[in-house]
Amino acid sequence: MQDASDKGAPPLPDAKTAEATPPTVSEARLLSVLDTAADGIIVIDERARILIFNKACEKMFGFRAADVLGENVKMVMPGEYAREHDEYIGSYIRTGVKKIIGIGREVRGRHSDGTVFPLELSVGEAQTPEGRQFIGILRDLRPRKESEQRLAELQSELVHLARVSAIDEMGAAIAHELNQPLTALMLYLQAIRRAHAKGVDIADRIGDVLDKAVGEADRAGHIIQRMRQFVEKRDPERRLCDIEPLIDDAIDLTLLGQHHRIRIERRSTPALPPVMVDSVQVQQIVVNLVRNAIEAATQALEPVIRVETRRDGNSVVLAVQDNGPGIAPEAMAGLFQAFASSKRRGMGLGLAISRTIAQNHGGDLMVDPGGNGRGACFSLALPVAAADSDAE
Amino acid sequence: MRVHVVEDDVGVSDSLGLILMNLGHEVLSYPSAEKLFAAAPPTASDVVIVDLSLPGIPGGQVVRWLQRLAAPPRIVVISGQSQGAIDHQLRGLDRIVLVRKPLDADTITSVLAAA
Repeated sequence: MQDASDKGAPPLPDAKTAEATPPTVSEARLLSVLDTAADGIIVIDERARILIFNKACEKMFGFRAADVLGENVKMVMPGEYAREHDEYIGSYIRTGVKKIIGIGREVRGRHSDGTVFPLELSVGEAQTPEGRQFIGILRDLRPRKESEQRLAELQSELVHLARVSAIDEMGAAIAHELNQPLTALMLYLQAIRRAHAKGVDIADRIGDVLDKAVGEADRAGHIIQRMRQFVEKRDPERRLCDIEPLIDDAIDLTLLGQHHRIRIERRSTPALPPVMVDSVQVQQIVVNLVRNAIEAATQALEPVIRVETRRDGNSVVLAVQDNGPGIAPEAMAGLFQAFASSKRRGMGLGLAISRTIAQNHGGDLMVDPGGNGRGACFSLALPVAAADSDAE
Repeated sequence: MRVHVVEDDVGVSDSLGLILMNLGHEVLSYPSAEKLFAAAPPTASDVVIVDLSLPGIPGGQVVRWLQRLAAPPRIVVISGQSQGAIDHQLRGLDRIVLVRKPLDADTITSVLAAA
């Protein structure tokens, strides 16, 4: 406030007072409050001229109070707000319609170096003998945005880690699956090599055998491809997806090398509306649910798991039902918690991460624990993409 | 020599059959244990190559069944599974000739000679 004197803005009575006489007790108290406040505080008059610009504001915007007092508050706003701001104030004064006063909102401010940054702004007004004044309290949202960003990154890392962990646990099964085409490929090539070495005429068969060898190499390639898509690090990306093929691919991946003895009943619903999802993350949930179901079902005499889809209001629901013993009541409490798994293998992250992914998509993951001869049933609900929901 | 191949994977079964015929053997292929059981049983002079992970009746059971025949054939077990899974299936069985996948022609030649 003392800096106001340097400015010497003539039409501002406050500034003059501060220059002329020492502050009164209440003035001194106010000054101290302003400069101690962690939030930025700006007071402007009806013509948007800055009357008060506290220390927190100086730090936030990189302007000294002396440089801004008496100036239009537009100077701390990026262009698009600055153009409209006078009109906002004018409109409020004319109509009394409050667009921001009394309501907090997220806006953007402009630093003296030109950087535009997010702010939380709440505005109050005061009738003073010197006319109407507006008080803005500002909080720099950058630290919060940064921590939100960091949190999102960590979460995405964890989701990826869980995928890698799932593939790691499936490693032996995948090795087995790769061994088949590699064996066939090797034997086809060696058969040709031997025939050739012995001078056997194989001209009429060589094309056929080579085609088969290429087919086997192709099969090995597909297994690698399917795995790679699942474990590669990538940024989360949401797209409009048809959920059925996503589910089928995920089941294929899960069944690599372990299809024996398990019967999968797959029931799809025709013409399900699309969902807006990160396809790899959704497949991660499916892989997790199907693996769990297989593990539970193997305790049954004739293991069967049922994977079905249906529409439920504005959600698309995927249900994975096994015919195992159900989930014990004592295991229910920690079921969706990380590291609470009773399984020997893995990190116990599967269900916790699956539910997090579902909720990040605006959906949820629920369980019917079954028991008494019924297996467990996990249901993944995902919201129907906006344009396709009933609300539209 | 007559060689029976019990293997559900079409590619492996076909290529194994090809190389065995190349080696001058008579080859009979079965996609499952059930199909083998339904056919005329192998004789003592035959060799049976059994994959452990079969649909339905598992390979370990095939080995037990073959060993209980009056005149059991020679048996070669093949598998692409982990050692743990193999040990589990073959528990209690001895004198088993085991070859882990991927297979190659030289290995097959030598185990057929040894079996």
